[in-house]
Amino acid sequence: MRIDRAPGERRQLALMLAPYLIGLGGLVLVPAVITLVLAFTDYDLIRPPQWIGLGNLAGLAEDPIFRTALTNSLVFAAVAVPARLVIALLLAVLLHRRTTFVGTARTVAAAPYAMPEIAYGLLWLWLFNPIYGPINQLLQIGGKDGLTALRRIPPQWLTDPTHARMAIIVMSLFTIGETFLILLAVRRALPPQVYELAAIEDAMSWDVFRRITLPLMAPVLGLLLLRDTIASFQTSFVPALVVTEGGPPPYATTYLSLFVYRNAFEYLRYGYAAAATLVMLALTLVAVAVQWRLIRRAQRLYGL
Amino acid sequence: MEGLQLRQVCASRGHREVLHGLDLAVARGELLVVLGPSGAGKSTLLRVVAGLEPATAGAVVIAGRDVTRLRPGRRNVSMVFQSHALFPHMTVAENIGFGPFVRGESRHEVRERVARAAIAVGCGLLLDRRPDQLSGGERQRVALARALVREPDVFLLDEPLSNLDAELRAETRGELKALHERVGTTMVHVTHDQVEALILGDRIAVMRAGRLEQTGTPQEIWQSPATTFVARFVGSPAMNLLPGEGPLRPPGMAADPERVVGFRPDAVRLSDPAGADCTGTVYRVDVIGEDAHAYLRIGGDTVVARMPTTTRPAVGDTVAVAVRWDDAHFFDARTERRIAA
Repeated sequence: MRIDRAPGERRQLALMLAPYLIGLGGLVLVPAVITLVLAFTDYDLIRPPQWIGLGNLAGLAEDPIFRTALTNSLVFAAVAVPARLVIALLLAVLLHRRTTFVGTARTVAAAPYAMPEIAYGLLWLWLFNPIYGPINQLLQIGGKDGLTALRRIPPQWLTDPTHARMAIIVMSLFTIGETFLILLAVRRALPPQVYELAAIEDAMSWDVFRRITLPLMAPVLGLLLLRDTIASFQTSFVPALVVTEGGPPPYATTYLSLFVYRNAFEYLRYGYAAAATLVMLALTLVAVAVQWRLIRRAQRLYGL
Repeated sequence: MEGLQLRQVCASRGHREVLHGLDLAVARGELLVVLGPSGAGKSTLLRVVAGLEPATAGAVVIAGRDVTRLRPGRRNVSMVFQSHALFPHMTVAENIGFGPFVRGESRHEVRERVARAAIAVGCGLLLDRRPDQLSGGERQRVALARALVREPDVFLLDEPLSNLDAELRAETRGELKALHERVGTTMVHVTHDQVEALILGDRIAVMRAGRLEQTGTPQEIWQSPATTFVARFVGSPAMNLLPGEGPLRPPGMAADPERVVGFRPDAVRLSDPAGADCTGTVYRVDVIGEDAHAYLRIGGDTVVARMPTTTRPAVGDTVAVAVRWDDAHFFDARTERRIAA
């Protein structure tokens, strides 16, 4: 049944919605549609675009750099997203009680998220420096001649391809502030009687976590997993640009977002970049669809 | 041997002490109802017994074993919460079997014990359902079955009936009593409902502000309340308590401001002008089906009388008031304690 609205009220509603709708249309929807169209053209931002059909997509399929970027992005998403979620969850479960210094600990856990991304990247550039950076200084404690205590060469964070990929993931593990705060709020909202009952039944802390906390937080965890997967194609952009500049060769930390950025604004292959964006979007949709199905199945299993 | 014994137990919430040196003994197999208004410390008492909150002083002894320093899981108690605290993501069977399961009993054994407990409380057909598919009464049964499955030394029930509607509460009350008689385990039942306490309890402990006011059988609590607080708290409408120097006092008793005279609404008669003690003005009449409660003003005091609805006075009437003084109670006005007539 519909509720009757006064005619003035209708106009008022439209007026109040207008700024948002105009912004959404002008800044998001229209550019998105234009990008979609440009993906099928050859366009260098100077001369008018020329329709080339699926030419860009065919080009992408044969481009080894694009394939590297795709793999890098998928590996980053597969490793960093679950790892970030697990760390945020453990911190939330650890720090949900009111105890001494818990406020300080929560602030510390959330703080890196509040840092500007560029500053955060520059900080890690120093931390990762293989010679005077604190990380490798720490790793060299107990070793001699610049080796670690296990007589291994410390990681060459910015010059070895594998180590550089690890470095980008390590960087991402500390900016979990927002996820941590959400999970902290969810954990604190769980009914205390359920935990008291578990205590009376003498359930061990692992059982409590595995059989009570985890299932009760699962719906939110699933949602955060979806969100972070969608965001992961973007979160690798600034670190890769600032810290590793897409290298070391061969394109070890060139992720899809960086690939798109370079093609569009450095090589002026706008149509090509738009096609890559399209692939990114399609991948995101597939990832979300798969996870959504998994989450729904888990929910049915738990009857949530 | 006692099923449960508290010796000089103190407990605090924050910096405020909420239990002040409580002494309480519950015989093995007895059903003790802890009765009191909210904020009296009833729930804290239960939580201290369960170990969910520490006793800041004194000792908790369960079945002859000093458990004061043991963690909740080592005390062998079961607890039913007011909110039932069922696990929403588990089936009824998993809920009931949670305790035995996490304590590492075999799958087969857990299933058998779950079935037995479920049948004992009459939820044997619900085992595959989830809590959100159950009614309030069914959840109540599941919570009871979960407590029962452990075969504990003491059952702790924290206002388990207060979330049920009136009809269901009366029904479940009866089943709870029958269940207690069948399993014969020591039970401590916390409630603020005096009717529930009178019906259920083998004995009742009345609490007020972290102290025990009186402990006794329902009959003792009813017939000889130890303090004015107990007298007022047990019985509805509450007992009339009047100053000893007022117009309404038993024949032969001199005006005595040190005394408080108490009599229940049933002991007040309005119809008999001959042997009347005094007169009063009716200012309010509540009709509850066949029962009517008339509120009278006598001088500066208020008196409640209870009568069949058919014989009730009208508001504004001036009526003759007679009291059946055989059933009167007397209290010290200063200490609020009972004194012999």
